[in-house]
Amino acid sequence: MYVSTKGVKKKKMVVRQYQEELKYLEKINNYCWRIKKGFQPNMNVEGIFYVNNTLEKLMLEELRNACKPGGIGGFLPGVKQIANVAALPGIVGKSVGLPDVHSGYGFAIGNMAAFDMNNPKSIVSPGGVGFDINCGVRLLRTNLFEKDVAPVKEQLAQSMFDHIPVGVGSKGIIPMTARDLEEALEMGMDWSLREGYVWAEDKEHCEEYGRMLNADPSKVSMRAKKRGLPQLGTLGAGNHYAEIQIVDEIYNKWAASKMGIEEKGQVCVMIHSGSRGFGHQVATDALVQMEKAMKRDNIETNDRQLACAHINSREGQDYLKSMAAAANFAWVNRSSMTFLSRQAFAKQFHMSPDDLDMHVIYDVSHNIAKIEEHIVDGKQKTLLVHRKGSTRAFPPHHPLIPVDYQLTGQPVLIGGTMGTCSYVLTGTEQGMQETFGSTCHGAGRALSRAKSRRNLDYKEVLDKLEELGISIRVASPKLVMEEAPESYKNVTDVVNTCHAAGISHKCIKLRPIAVIKG
Amino acid sequence: MFERKLKALDYIDWDKVNGNDVQHFRKLVTWLEDQKIRHYRIEDRKELRDINSENWPQTFAKYCSDVACPITTCPLDQLEWLLGFAIRLEFEDDHKNYQQATGNKAKNKQEAAVPCVKSSNPLDNLDFESNDFKNGVNVIAKILQVPQHPNHLITLEACSKIVCKRLNPSALENPNSVIVKGKAFPILEADLGFDMGDKVLNTAAKILRLLYIHDIRDLQTKINEAIVSVQNITANPKTDTKLGKVGI
Amino acid sequence: MEELTDEDFAIPPVKYEYLDHTADVQLHAWGDSLEEAFEQCAIAMFGYMTDLERVDMLQVHEIEAEGHDLQSLLFHFLDELLFMFCAEPFIVARKVKIKEFDRENYRIKAIAVGEEFSIGKHSQGAEVKAITYSAMQILDKPEVDRPEVFVIVDI
Repeated sequence: MYVSTKGVKKKKMVVRQYQEELKYLEKINNYCWRIKKGFQPNMNVEGIFYVNNTLEKLMLEELRNACKPGGIGGFLPGVKQIANVAALPGIVGKSVGLPDVHSGYGFAIGNMAAFDMNNPKSIVSPGGVGFDINCGVRLLRTNLFEKDVAPVKEQLAQSMFDHIPVGVGSKGIIPMTARDLEEALEMGMDWSLREGYVWAEDKEHCEEYGRMLNADPSKVSMRAKKRGLPQLGTLGAGNHYAEIQIVDEIYNKWAASKMGIEEKGQVCVMIHSGSRGFGHQVATDALVQMEKAMKRDNIETNDRQLACAHINSREGQDYLKSMAAAANFAWVNRSSMTFLSRQAFAKQFHMSPDDLDMHVIYDVSHNIAKIEEHIVDGKQKTLLVHRKGSTRAFPPHHPLIPVDYQLTGQPVLIGGTMGTCSYVLTGTEQGMQETFGSTCHGAGRALSRAKSRRNLDYKEVLDKLEELGISIRVASPKLVMEEAPESYKNVTDVVNTCHAAGISHKCIKLRPIAVIKG
Repeated sequence: MFERKLKALDYIDWDKVNGNDVQHFRKLVTWLEDQKIRHYRIEDRKELRDINSENWPQTFAKYCSDVACPITTCPLDQLEWLLGFAIRLEFEDDHKNYQQATGNKAKNKQEAAVPCVKSSNPLDNLDFESNDFKNGVNVIAKILQVPQHPNHLITLEACSKIVCKRLNPSALENPNSVIVKGKAFPILEADLGFDMGDKVLNTAAKILRLLYIHDIRDLQTKINEAIVSVQNITANPKTDTKLGKVGI
Repeated sequence: MEELTDEDFAIPPVKYEYLDHTADVQLHAWGDSLEEAFEQCAIAMFGYMTDLERVDMLQVHEIEAEGHDLQSLLFHFLDELLFMFCAEPFIVARKVKIKEFDRENYRIKAIAVGEEFSIGKHSQGAEVKAITYSAMQILDKPEVDRPEVFVIVDI
């Protein structure tokens, strides 16, 4: 097998020399760059992206490569994708790139954009949400400390692995009928509550209270439901994981205390998963529908991948309703794994999850579109906010965040990659103004999967994790190279950039001691 | 039936009308049209006046629609509407006079009412503005550690809240149920989210924020309790490892 | 369905590779005919999800796909096969054979030969979330001597 880049067509974009391209980019300060109009055709607003020195190099390198004659693997650099999003009809403010931005399908991953609901031309784009609808992160706390789990770490990792189905082709172990699925799609976490898989308090610590009310399962194809049914309650593969983590650093003790984190060494469980095949199929179906709607309504975009429809068109509305159903699926999915994690801990420590204080600290969605109220140029506006690889980060006192976090700002959960740290941030007023209350979502890929496989050896990766004292249970060991920390941007760089730029603040740092993944 | 309305219209037999009696009903309708409503010309009232006619119900239905009565179902309701309609016409004819009367009457009534009510409740006979009373309120406030408001009645209200919430029998029996748990938060250092341009006002706004958050927490806790009580009936979580393979 | 011949169970040679893409994987497949390139592309997809050496040819599943042009035909062809893997009957294919390729109406009838995916027997590779049109290319005769296709799948 060999790797080549030949025969790959360049996408529609302005072809300029790298030095010419740089003229459209302006460094505003140490953490922030402006993308001027004209960088891509028809930009309605400017673009902006947040990077520090290290991330800036990665970002510009990607652009420089794209400017080379012959081009690369046929995909646009993230910075060009941010600009193409700025050219979509109805966009307001700016097209925002977060520090973990990298090239994705249509929208860059780590890209957020808001569209005016009152502008009939405004669009909704499945590419602005991603295939894994409502992929997100949930963090559970415990009252255990590192010294309690260290002696049983291997058993605990195995127990988690024995409870949570992982990897490609895995099936859920929570019995579901087709009717259960219909109800779950409509009710989201309320379904999990009704059936007794989660606690009442879990609901109040989820975005949207774990349920999007506009979900309409009748708008979802049979195909999506058939893919979804067997996969409910499974972790998935790729960058999804469940980790046992230790509080490594507390930056804001008051905010941490509100989250029930009192001391370094406290044990937490992080679950990173999404809507599985259900969401993937909903997105696929919508993209097919929207291709047609674009032709009919004469919507022009710079990139065919930015398939979209007017928010008020039938396709637009159908997508929002089925996306909401997929979001509900994801919440039920993470709730099911919360239940399984609690069982795993309870069995290991012979204590009830209640006595282990295994409360949900928070649950964030980092692939979603939501209708929100924001102030734009001094006026309150209703916007459809797309966050793809971007996490909502609302400031203190925002009415949509849980009462427990009214004083601290919304907790923002930033999952690291296998073996690296994760963070809890809090939302800020500045973020509300600059990025529509959005921040980063994780590390963001730096190396392509193929490159990771070429450059890294999976045994070395596993040995390194062992050296770091991290137990790992993985369904596909040969693919750990693709998910190795070296394949990703440094999550600490990403988080520090958000903190320094003021769009969210560091609160807690967590380090993994056990990783369960697909 | 309709006594007050009939009396107001000076109907002779105001205390004897039975709307369910066909004769009473028809007589009253004819009287209303003849004396008060006068919607038809006199010669056109013939059919209505013929209260023994078999066709009277149809005549009445037509009459109702002619005077634009919105009610179509129950004859008694229609009659009541006609009474109200008549009163309105009467009032409009002489509204200046009636308006005055209402005002004066109402006043006279109040003046007359006060001396004749002999309250048996000693609290009603207190002079809430006396120094004695004010001092009493302040003493209670001091005991309860309630800051004094310039208006002693507001201070009293605050005292009452404390007594009702914290010193009621069940609270005294089980003080932990009302004592707020949780850790203190340096609210004064926290960001308020807006600036009132004045330090004192900002501090006051922060206190209001806290009270509001406290209310919302109470509400959220009640919601959670409601969810839990429903869960007691519906919850039945299951897992079946035959469905999928875990932990290879 | 017509009788299957021994030829249907012959394991085809590998005519595909995986190309670079930041977050996803680009499948590059080729063949003596466009049919073969399509078939190879499908196998490339399954090959990314599991080690095909461990897949036995025990079951045959028929699929049909329809498009409005060649690209959408390839898209739906792969989407059908992905669906066959992700939902009932959960078949992972060792071999895909196109039985009918209607280039005028953009229709494909094909059979997938393999078995039900079973954790323990089969290795778990990466999960293909979706097929995309991203940088999709279909090169056919006579423009090129050897027909080839490029498809990015979302991982």
